[in-house]
Amino acid sequence: MQFTTPETPLGLMFDVNLGMTTDSVLALALLHGLAGKQECRVASLTINYPDLRAARLCDAIERYYASATGPGLGGSVPAAVPIGIVESRKAPADQPLLARTVALKDGEGSKIWASVIEKWNDTAIPEILIRNTLMANFDGRAAMVVSGPATNLATLLNLPDIIPLISAKLKVMVIADGEFPSGKSDPGFMSDLPAAKRVLADWPTPIVFSGRELGRQIPFPGASVEKAFSYNPSHPIAAAYRAGREMPYDAPAPAMAAVLYAVRRNEGYFKLSEPGVVSFSSDGGTEFRPSADGRHRYLIADPAQVERIAKVYVEMASAKPAAPPPRRLPPALQKLEEEKAAAAAAKKQTPPADPPKPR
Amino acid sequence: MIITRKAVARRTFLRGVGATVALPFLDAMVPALATAATTPKPPVRMAFAYVPNGLNFKDYKLGYEGKLEKLSRILQPLEPYKQDINVLGNLTHNAGRALLDGPGDHGRCSASYLTGLQPRKTMSDIKAGVSFDQIVGQHVGAGTSFNTLELGIEDARQAGDCDSGYSCAYTNNLAWRAEAQPLPPTLNPRALFERLFGDDAALSPEARRRRNLYRRSVLDLVQDEARQLSRDLGPTDQRKLDEYLSSIREIELQLARADKDSISIDPGFEKPYGIPADFAEHFSLMTNMLTVAFQSNLTRVATFLVTREGTSRTYREIGIPDGHHPLTHHRGQEDLVEKVSKINVYHMQQFATWIGKLKAIKEGDSTLLDNCMIVYGAGLADGNRHSHEDLPTIMAGRGGGSFQPGRSIVYRKETPMCNLFLTMMDRMGVPTEHFGDSSGALCGLDGLDLT
Repeated sequence: MQFTTPETPLGLMFDVNLGMTTDSVLALALLHGLAGKQECRVASLTINYPDLRAARLCDAIERYYASATGPGLGGSVPAAVPIGIVESRKAPADQPLLARTVALKDGEGSKIWASVIEKWNDTAIPEILIRNTLMANFDGRAAMVVSGPATNLATLLNLPDIIPLISAKLKVMVIADGEFPSGKSDPGFMSDLPAAKRVLADWPTPIVFSGRELGRQIPFPGASVEKAFSYNPSHPIAAAYRAGREMPYDAPAPAMAAVLYAVRRNEGYFKLSEPGVVSFSSDGGTEFRPSADGRHRYLIADPAQVERIAKVYVEMASAKPAAPPPRRLPPALQKLEEEKAAAAAAKKQTPPADPPKPR
Repeated sequence: MIITRKAVARRTFLRGVGATVALPFLDAMVPALATAATTPKPPVRMAFAYVPNGLNFKDYKLGYEGKLEKLSRILQPLEPYKQDINVLGNLTHNAGRALLDGPGDHGRCSASYLTGLQPRKTMSDIKAGVSFDQIVGQHVGAGTSFNTLELGIEDARQAGDCDSGYSCAYTNNLAWRAEAQPLPPTLNPRALFERLFGDDAALSPEARRRRNLYRRSVLDLVQDEARQLSRDLGPTDQRKLDEYLSSIREIELQLARADKDSISIDPGFEKPYGIPADFAEHFSLMTNMLTVAFQSNLTRVATFLVTREGTSRTYREIGIPDGHHPLTHHRGQEDLVEKVSKINVYHMQQFATWIGKLKAIKEGDSTLLDNCMIVYGAGLADGNRHSHEDLPTIMAGRGGGSFQPGRSIVYRKETPMCNLFLTMMDRMGVPTEHFGDSSGALCGLDGLDLT
């Protein structure tokens, strides 16, 4: 495990319904783009609905980015981080987009997704993975983005001594769901109603919501896909995008907005609502009640920023996989290394002794 | 009904002048009119045998789940006992990871192994946590002579820096009575013997050598009582008692050999009195005594630090003059990898021999091994990578009948090792809600198919 220091980039934990929406895949790509710029780290990836195909998809995408070069779908590159997923022995529910995506084949008829995940025990227990990841981050140096059911967060809250840990480590918590200030949409976060209620009641830090309306107002521009990802004809993100719907289409992007806000909070991309309290109903209804001591806010689209944000979405989500950052050492060791390097450089500059005279 | 058999109390000792010998579990200790339901079950015992520096995973991993079939090279010595072991996969000690403390995996992994907590990175004001063997020992130790036993093989200094700023107290102890109080393992077989069976440990080596000239077997001291007891026992119990007393005699003879070793080998070397020169002999001696201690209910809980984390012990007896720890940082160099595997196999051979002894001892309708939970484990998975997930873990025994061994069980990734401890605490009759970073008891050890 890489040593973290207080200067290590923010560790982003992404709890995602990967493959349920195009947005979920794009948000993961955006996260990798930002990580490639060393603005954050992909600290943990957990999937919040019980379908092993989603874990395989996640593993394949991770392998692509871990390869750092070329198509990278050969399956020889280990996943950058273990994939957590909520487990269920029941047959998974029908997920049309996921089914289309995982069935994608390359020009030679082979499936393009290569993954080592075959069984549940090839994946991690999500709440333990999140807990362990929190412990590996300095205080206030972790962020969490959630897109999809609240299942994993609720089980996380069941762990002993977890509340102080979350409070200490999390800098920001963003949930990509809801219609603000009020409205109805397909249930996402609330599709596990008891879990969602538990999280809204007991989560110890402030929560920022990235609503569906924001995702519609600033979608990912579908027209850019062919050009932006053209450097790799087998790009997994582009392939997943094409599988989403008949091209071209603009994909609503609340999860992308959530990731972008979590990593670049001070860039002024979005406006923030006043504090308040969010409540959900099981049929997908959202209601925001302003309250001075409320711990919830939601993101608001700023018309002046829409174009800028869409550009960032395209640029970062389609960024070429970057080589991993150099191994970071604890400050004391880093200093030693620097001193060694300086000494070596000084030695190099010293003029060599006169060569022995030929006999 | 005429009852001719004489009952013997469970806590019966053979007493002589200067010696007290506890008895193993005998049939005569079962009340004559007992039914299956009322028959007292032998107690469940637990022990940990800890090996350092991880294992060579290429030669350790089974690569399959379910019924144990072909064993890997390192597990091969356990082939005769594969119906008595479960091989557990994917257990993780998060507390052994760097988290925010930088290098020092060896120091962390041994200190956190049984405590489940990350130790404070320090060389002076040490702090870990109470290890779970101590918690169990305090609860089940009332009917035994020793709440717990702590054994080891390698010299264990307790101060100084043993790994990147971690005190040697972290690498050289497994058991912790309190968060700042480790329990150093007993290394000297004679000291252990005398702790278990006699009281002349305080004598100097010279005085002991003089005394040994006139030394009588501890069994000589209790022979009158043993003879009298034997007359009251049935043939099965008579044989059991004879075997038990013979095993004590065997240990005495081993100790005598060890004493000879320590006198005859390398006079210039300050070797602790009574420690065998040979690793396998030392391992055998310690585990023989532990077996007797379990058999006679002197203790029910033990930890055995086979060698310490970061050890540079050499194994010339199997042709390896290189230090163990440096070898594990082989960076894939084939000849070094091979040596690591050889050491791993050598350790496993000693463990397998011990398991065989536990299995050979009958306890009612079961064996001593059936009533044990013996964990062979390491705090690092792969010594070259210093990884703390998928820790090598072998559980031998049936835990008093609650485990179904003979399988490879692979848990989900990140499953806390402390979940295994929680399960063992439950089987020891010490149900606990939470220990270390546990998230719940382990499923599958009882035979439930997790695949």
